[in-house]
Amino acid sequence: MTSVPAQDKGKDRAIGAVRRIWRSISVPLVAVLLGLLIGGILLFVSGANPFEAYGALIKGAFGTPVAVQRTLEKATPLVFSGLAVAFAFKAGLFNIGAQGQLLIGAIVAAYVGFAIEGLPAIIHAPLALLIGGLAGALYGYIPGVLKVYTGAHEVIVTIMLNYVAINITDYLADGPWKDLSPGNVVARTPKIQPSAEIPILGNIPLGFIFAVLAAIIVWWLLYRTTLGYEIRTVGLNASAAQYAGIRVARMVILTMMISGFLAGFGGAVETLGIVGRYQPGFNAGLGFDGITVALLGKTSPFGVIPAALLMGAMRAGASQMQFSAGVAKEITDVITAFILFFVAADVIVKWLIRQRDSDDERIMLSSGWGGN
Amino acid sequence: MELTAKRQAESSNWFIKNRWWVLIGLILIGSVIYAYATNAVVTTAVLASTLRQSTPLILGALCGVLGERSGVINIGIEGQMLLAAFVAFLANVYTGNLLVATLAGLLAGGVMGLLLAFMSVTLKMDQIIGGTVINILAVGLTGYFYVSGLTTKGKFQPIPLGPLADIPLLGPVLFRNPPITYLAIILVFVLHYVLFYTRWGLRTRAVGEHPSAADTVGINVFRTRYINVIIAGAIAGLGGAFLTLEGVGSFERLMTNGRGFLALAIMIFGKWTPLGSWGAALLFGFTYAMQTQLQFSGVNLPPQFIGSLPYILTILVLAGFVGRSRAPAAEGIPYEKEG
Amino acid sequence: MKRIMLLLTGLLLLAMLVAACGGTAAEPPAQEAAPTEEVAEEVVEPTEEVMEEASGDCSDEAVLCIGLVTDVGEVDDKSFNQSAWEGAQQAAEALGAAEVNFIETKDAKDYGANIALFADQGYDIIVTVGFAMGEATIEAAGTYPDINFIGVDQFQGEALPNVTGLVFHEDQSGYLAGVLAASLSQSGTVASVLGTNLVPPVVAFNEGYKNGALSVNPDITIIDTYHPGGLDVAFTDPEWGATTAAQAISNGADVVFGAGGKTGNGALIESAGHDGVWCIGVDSDQWETVPEAHACLVSSAMKLITPGVIDLATMSANGEFPGGNFFGASGLAPFHDHEDAVSQDIKDLLDATKAGLLDGSITTGYNPG
Repeated sequence: MTSVPAQDKGKDRAIGAVRRIWRSISVPLVAVLLGLLIGGILLFVSGANPFEAYGALIKGAFGTPVAVQRTLEKATPLVFSGLAVAFAFKAGLFNIGAQGQLLIGAIVAAYVGFAIEGLPAIIHAPLALLIGGLAGALYGYIPGVLKVYTGAHEVIVTIMLNYVAINITDYLADGPWKDLSPGNVVARTPKIQPSAEIPILGNIPLGFIFAVLAAIIVWWLLYRTTLGYEIRTVGLNASAAQYAGIRVARMVILTMMISGFLAGFGGAVETLGIVGRYQPGFNAGLGFDGITVALLGKTSPFGVIPAALLMGAMRAGASQMQFSAGVAKEITDVITAFILFFVAADVIVKWLIRQRDSDDERIMLSSGWGGN
Repeated sequence: MELTAKRQAESSNWFIKNRWWVLIGLILIGSVIYAYATNAVVTTAVLASTLRQSTPLILGALCGVLGERSGVINIGIEGQMLLAAFVAFLANVYTGNLLVATLAGLLAGGVMGLLLAFMSVTLKMDQIIGGTVINILAVGLTGYFYVSGLTTKGKFQPIPLGPLADIPLLGPVLFRNPPITYLAIILVFVLHYVLFYTRWGLRTRAVGEHPSAADTVGINVFRTRYINVIIAGAIAGLGGAFLTLEGVGSFERLMTNGRGFLALAIMIFGKWTPLGSWGAALLFGFTYAMQTQLQFSGVNLPPQFIGSLPYILTILVLAGFVGRSRAPAAEGIPYEKEG
Repeated sequence: MKRIMLLLTGLLLLAMLVAACGGTAAEPPAQEAAPTEEVAEEVVEPTEEVMEEASGDCSDEAVLCIGLVTDVGEVDDKSFNQSAWEGAQQAAEALGAAEVNFIETKDAKDYGANIALFADQGYDIIVTVGFAMGEATIEAAGTYPDINFIGVDQFQGEALPNVTGLVFHEDQSGYLAGVLAASLSQSGTVASVLGTNLVPPVVAFNEGYKNGALSVNPDITIIDTYHPGGLDVAFTDPEWGATTAAQAISNGADVVFGAGGKTGNGALIESAGHDGVWCIGVDSDQWETVPEAHACLVSSAMKLITPGVIDLATMSANGEFPGGNFFGASGLAPFHDHEDAVSQDIKDLLDATKAGLLDGSITTGYNPG
């Protein structure tokens, strides 16, 4: 019995791999379908044609190369803010402040982009990205350091700093960094130099490739380095980590800074790749949506990418849906809420598709809430 | 048992233990009297505005306190308030009865509480996700079903409390308010009493700190959490009803504008206690009222500077005076009955 | 399968419940929009909501189609998006347009893409609402030289033949509101509750208002407040507007000028609950849009977007599209029920001021830029 022929073994392994993949994607897949189903029922009940609406949504998100490009563009900042939130969750920290860090990164990158002239593109764009990221890291440093040295809970401080960031950026865009080109009355920074722009390769924005790379780096950092191990240990049990000789205070500050860096970098990519300048209101909600993306992706660096793509697609397609089917865009929020519900309530989904429950992948992030 | 002993110690040494708070209170009262003597109109205006701006915040924060004391994190306060505000608005439009509309708001909040309890207690979902689901769902549903052109039939008007309303300063600030504002203040004290001086409160806190121990002594953890989270949702619903029935008198999309998240911050600021949260909410209301008053006075600063003051002040107070706060120990962890 | 059927049934019930709770109020406004042709020339099933004339193909020269892209916000915002959409609809009816449709912008970065959705379908007139869309509109005008663009609130620095900025003298309208406010005030204190100072028209309204009030009574106290939050919340915070108006009234103000979308509407409704306080609306005649404020709403400082859009659309249809800037009408709304509260003296003063503003003998003191 133990001597199974070699090719059978290989076949078994292949089947095993397929099973594993199915296990990991079945729940999200069914969750998406259920979310769309409920949204469709809601559409139907309120008098719209769900097929027409979803057809337009899909067409607007994937129908043409330009549509795909817009989906990727929408997903890019969400990957970054999702990674920022997910990364902090790994250390048991809830970074509601990705929004503020993203805004700061976006405006600082815009400043580097428009104020420095004469640099070659190979230096200018990376420099602006890096400084934008660092600005975000600095903005993430504040809640980290306050938490460590004064005990101020990061949830409060990051919420407050979000408001402050809006005010700082609004002030800069309407004051010292305002676009003074003739005829402009709008609060916004000047356009960035062409050398700071991030190009689009065919229909794939380079920013999206950066986002995928960022996810890989975050994964590597978390699961293949000592630092990542220490951060995760702090997230699992801070006092045990302390006992094991990990410098928890340092880890908390560092985590918030890396998280802030990711969000700020996302803001910089948005400025240099999409908007071309900083303008108030153009980055609204991107950081907040990072929370949803991180949760949809089960706080895994690789889960964040499909989650961001899903939300990006719904956003890219929503205009087409309204245009062709006359359906209000808020329906996509309802769908998102239900998808998130079913992703998290995998008990229901697994019962539905008769998959056995396994505890290993259940996500538990709120344990870090206690402010220790 | 340990909790009972602690409680007795708390009450007997109250003044000594809270001497700094007493001192701060005295200083506050002193400065208010001084301000009133200097400029009665502005002082009254600012303090009245303080109370009003703090009302939705404290209702949201009380929702948070009640849920989290029983061990359920609620970051869905924003969504609960928004949805309740919408339902209360619709009820007001179609019935024209403010009392019915308030009850509808309470009910909507309660249903959202039930949903949160179902997700976090029964399905054992991560509680942060549960709250996020509620937030997104509320934005989507209220936005999708909102139709313009609906007009409410009036909003709650202030009810002066007899002779109390004629006291200088205190009268206009405290005793000339619309009903939900009174209710919010009463709720602060009721919840303080319930949480710290009743059997139910003791059970709730036990469930939030040591669910397995509570279970051993016969407390039904699931039921306690369900009831607390539902009542908490109803309180957030009252906050939503405040916005549409008492504050604005109408509904607009996204009109909560982050107040639910501020309430979350206020609850932590207030160290998960009703009285502490009220203090934090009042501080917030005061800084908001002050920034408006600063703009009134024609200070030549960009509004963005003045607008940042409440938040920077909060961070400073938090970092300088309040410091570390400890959440209920079992918070965020779904309870699994052993065996 | 049984489980799935069970689940489906449950979901259906849930959705119906949700729809029944929230949806008692008819259908969402978006339903009014007529479905449009698909690119792939699919046959559009005629539903009961298709407009009668909706038979044309927009890319056909002879068929008139009007599209509208909102600023971040909705076409039922009781404010400038709504006014522009009403203008587009009325113009479509008057001109016999085959299609009139809108897209609500949710993300400011979609301005260009949303415009392109209409442009690629061969729409003839595209209305873009809000100053923030100015850049995207000019870009689109370059890409689609055959389409005429009406840019509401978009001042044109350089004139392009196929873009007309529908702009207004908000400062003049605000000036008249200030004259009215100062004339009505008994207490000598008037207030304004505003959206953000990042939006130039809001600042223009306020500066005009202040100078108008000062022209009547140089000693008047004016308390003005801008919403301290960012652009994305400044116009959608009615509770802030209400509480700020209340604080202004406690400070002695007896006229409140609410200028800032839903935020301003909150201020108006709040003022209506205080005895002896007047309020003045903004943009459109808010007697129609905020009935809750009838008790105090004496007038509104208008910028008439709706007729402006109709005028420009008509010009475009007649081949007389002006390009550059087109100043729409501005001024005060009728007093409605408060006709008697405004004395003949005040009415005369307002008429004289209006005439002075028109012939340039009175300036509002507002200098943008």
